[in-house]
Amino acid sequence: MDVPLPLIWIVKIVVIFGGLVGTAALMSLAERKVSAWMQYRIGPNRVGPFGLLQPLADGIKFIFKEELIPAGANKFMFRLAPALSAAPAMLTMAVIPIGGTALIAGREIPLSIADVDIGVLFLLAFSGLSIYGVILGGWASNSKYSLLGGLRASAQMISYELTLILTILAVVALEGTLNLRAISENQASIGQWNIWTQPLAFVLFTITMFAETNRHPFDFAECEPELVGGFHTEYSAMRFALYFLGEYCAMTVLSCLNATLFLGGPSVPFWPEAPWFIGVAAFCLKAGFFLFLFLWVRWSLPRMRFDQLMRLGWKVFLPLALANLLVTGAFISFGAH
Amino acid sequence: MVIVQRKALSLAERLYLPEIFRGLSITFSKFFEKPITRQYPEEPLPTDEVTRGQPRLVVKDDGAIACVSCGMCEVACPAYAITIDGGETDRPIEREPVRFEIDMLRCILCGFCEEACPKDAIFMSNELELADTTRRGLIYDLEKLKRPKAALQPRIDYVYRINKRWRSKQP
Repeated sequence: MDVPLPLIWIVKIVVIFGGLVGTAALMSLAERKVSAWMQYRIGPNRVGPFGLLQPLADGIKFIFKEELIPAGANKFMFRLAPALSAAPAMLTMAVIPIGGTALIAGREIPLSIADVDIGVLFLLAFSGLSIYGVILGGWASNSKYSLLGGLRASAQMISYELTLILTILAVVALEGTLNLRAISENQASIGQWNIWTQPLAFVLFTITMFAETNRHPFDFAECEPELVGGFHTEYSAMRFALYFLGEYCAMTVLSCLNATLFLGGPSVPFWPEAPWFIGVAAFCLKAGFFLFLFLWVRWSLPRMRFDQLMRLGWKVFLPLALANLLVTGAFISFGAH
Repeated sequence: MVIVQRKALSLAERLYLPEIFRGLSITFSKFFEKPITRQYPEEPLPTDEVTRGQPRLVVKDDGAIACVSCGMCEVACPAYAITIDGGETDRPIEREPVRFEIDMLRCILCGFCEEACPKDAIFMSNELELADTTRRGLIYDLEKLKRPKAALQPRIDYVYRINKRWRSKQP
C-alpha cells in the first residue's frame, strides 16, 4: 500500500515539532535537576517517577493562573510579544535535518520537515526575528525593569548575531552550500567533521550560542539581581511560560544547528553504514550534549558585566570570526582543492 | 589604609577558557556526589533525648495515668496553656484528672511543667509536628496527650541525670 505524501509530511511535522516542544519541556525539568545535582540536592521528585511529570504539572498550573496586564501597558503588543518570541524559535526547527534518509515501507523519507536550499539563511532570518519578542515585551510592559532588560537584550543579540553569522559563513564557504542536509551529508565520516577544519569557528559558535539565547553567563536580558526579571518581569501565566518555551526551543535549535554544522549531524563515528535510527540517536546525543552544556555552564559560571560582554563581542569575537573567515576564504581560493 | 595589590592575570587566565573549563570540571565532579537533602516528611528529623518537644502525659506500666491533678504545672505554665479539672478515683492515690487540656497554640515548649511536676507525670516528648485545620483541634485533651511511659523513657532518664542534685532516684 502506498502511503500518500501529505500524510508523511504531517507525521514528520507532528513528530519533529512534538519532539522539539517535548525537549523544551524536559529542559525545564532538566534545568532544575542538573542544578540540584550540582549542589548536592535532589530536585523535583514529587510529580511522577523522578519528577518526570513536573513539566506537565507546571504547564497545567501556568494555564490556570490568572493573567495580569499592567496598567499603562500596550495591551496588543504585550499579548503579541511572547508569541513573537516563541514562534520563530519553533519555526527554525523545520530546516534542521535530524537524520539522514529513513527507509520506511519501501519509501525513502528525508528526516527533516523542509529540505530547502536556503536552510541556513532561513534559520538565521527567523532566529533574528525572535529578538522582537524580547524587545516588544520589554517595551510594552510599561515598566523600567522590563524596558532595560529588553534594551540590553537587543544590544547583546545584535552584537553576537554578527559573530554567529560569520562563524556559520565560514562553514558555509567551506561546504559551498546553504542546504543543511547537504552540509550534514558532506560530513559522513568522523574525519570529515567540520570541527577539525573549523575549530575556532566551533568554539566561537558554541560561546555565541549562549549569548544568542540569553543564557548564563550572558543573561543580561533577565539578570535577576539588577532587573527583577528583566523583560518578562510583568508577565504571568501562560505568556510567561511561552517566553520560557521560546528560550528552551531556541536552545534546542541552536544545539541541533551546532551538531549539524560542526559535529556531522547524524553521522556515527567509525560506522558509516549505520541504520537511520542509529543516526537519529547519534544526532540527539550530540544535540543533547550541547543542551547539557547550556545547563552545566549556567550552574558553574557567574554572570559577566555588561561592558565585559560588549568588549568580548566587538573586540574579541568579531575580529576572530572575521580573521577565521578570511583564512578560510584564502584556503578555499588558493588551497589544494 | 590597606593597599590591595591586585595580582596580574596570566595569559591563560585572561583567555577565560582554561579557567572556565576548570570551573566546569569542579561542578561536574559534584554531579555524582550523594545529595545531602533530607526528604522531610518521609525521613523524619532525628531527635535526641535533649529534644524538648511537645509535653505529654505519662501512662504508667499498670495502665493508670501518673497525674494526680495537683495543678503545679498549671501554675508553672507561663503561657497559661494548661487547664486541669481534678476528680476522684478508687485507686489508693485518690485523685486523677478528669480534664487535662494543653492548648498547643499557647504552649511555648519551655518545659516548666516538666520541672514543676512532683509526680513525674508530664514530660517533654520528642514529638515536634503540630498541624491541624482548626484551632479547636490543637487544644489537646487527655486522649491526645497520654503516652506510655516506655515512649518517654529516654527523656525521663535524661531529666533525672541532669537534675540529679535535686531529683531523687527514679522510682
